[in-house]
Amino acid sequence: MDKTSVLELSFQMGETLLQNGAEISRVQETMERVARAYRVDSFDVYVLTNAVFATGVEQGVEHAARLKHIPSTTIHFGRILAVNQLSREIAQGDHTVEEAFSILDSVRGMPYSPLPLATLACAVGSACFSYLFGGSWLDALIAFFCGVVLELFLYGAGRRKLSKFLTNLSASALVTLCGALFLLAGIGDNMDKIIIGSIIRLVPGVALTTSIRDFFNGDYLSGAIRMLDAVLVGGCIAVGVGVVVRCLSLLTGGALL
Amino acid sequence: MISLPVIWGWIFQTAVAFVSTVAFSVIFHTPRKEYLFTGITGGLGWLVYLVSMDMGAGAAAASFFATVALAWISRAFSFARKAPVTVFLICGIFPLVPGAGIYYTGYHFFMSDNALALETGLETIKIAVAIALGIGIVLSLPKGLFTRKK
Repeated sequence: MDKTSVLELSFQMGETLLQNGAEISRVQETMERVARAYRVDSFDVYVLTNAVFATGVEQGVEHAARLKHIPSTTIHFGRILAVNQLSREIAQGDHTVEEAFSILDSVRGMPYSPLPLATLACAVGSACFSYLFGGSWLDALIAFFCGVVLELFLYGAGRRKLSKFLTNLSASALVTLCGALFLLAGIGDNMDKIIIGSIIRLVPGVALTTSIRDFFNGDYLSGAIRMLDAVLVGGCIAVGVGVVVRCLSLLTGGALL
Repeated sequence: MISLPVIWGWIFQTAVAFVSTVAFSVIFHTPRKEYLFTGITGGLGWLVYLVSMDMGAGAAAASFFATVALAWISRAFSFARKAPVTVFLICGIFPLVPGAGIYYTGYHFFMSDNALALETGLETIKIAVAIALGIGIVLSLPKGLFTRKK
């Protein structure tokens, strides 16, 4: 890899943004801004949710169109903010290309939140939402435990590289089962509030929001891809919850709600 | 018309929404210095939702108003903090995303209650569309509305 190429730098910055969940127009603007700051002769870029196509002329040499498949994204706002800051500094002319590369490397190495913290966050989030949607204190407490189970399960699923569909399907089923078990043991007031709180972690809020932003920026193709993603994930959650509720109601002989 | 206990309820719920939004900021690896701002975004969104609901707006209309407020403050924060709008918007939107709708749709669908499943499914889609409109409209507004005049 050429550590002095502006095109390579711009390309990698775009890739980092896309991998960590930025919207299309931001990726495109950042890449163009970097290329312009270093006075690349000509630069064209086209970005999709899972690929970047860029071509440019650098020091009289035409660099062929580059494309790269970018696999699934994990949201990491810390990295997006850092790349954003870097591109701002580059536009002001603060960094040479080599410096920018070394900063970018450190940005890419920014750690994820440690598992205990993530688990606590998920549990607290679940409990809060359970309460917000009208659950009692007891419901919130149970949602807290469901949240712990959920985040640990998601962590395990991520390590085993389970497919997205299977992850969402099984995670929502697991959470429902967890909530229902508490309820069958006589703890908890409202099954629905417990489960709604717990599945919020899975609900495709990010995909929905980013999709809308892409649509309104005129990136229809990427917007459509993400919208489809949101709808399918939402469907998976509904199926996961529904199947477990149905099975339990058949087993216990009565409707649960 | 609005009694004191109702207002205390709003304040308390807003605080809970604040905490939940911060929890989601942690999940999305937001830098610590932005927690306060993502939290305020989420709290404001939920407050507007609550007040609209109590004033008798439907879930879809309330979601729309809340999203507009939330997207507006996200953009203001984005300029003030020199950070992408996405950070505040995505963390703050979570209380409004129709998780309840997804749950009830799945529940009724699998309990073979077709009429209710269709009704809740449509309601979910309506809320999603309301959120989409809210975000889209505010993000398309000109920049000048969000920065302090110099």
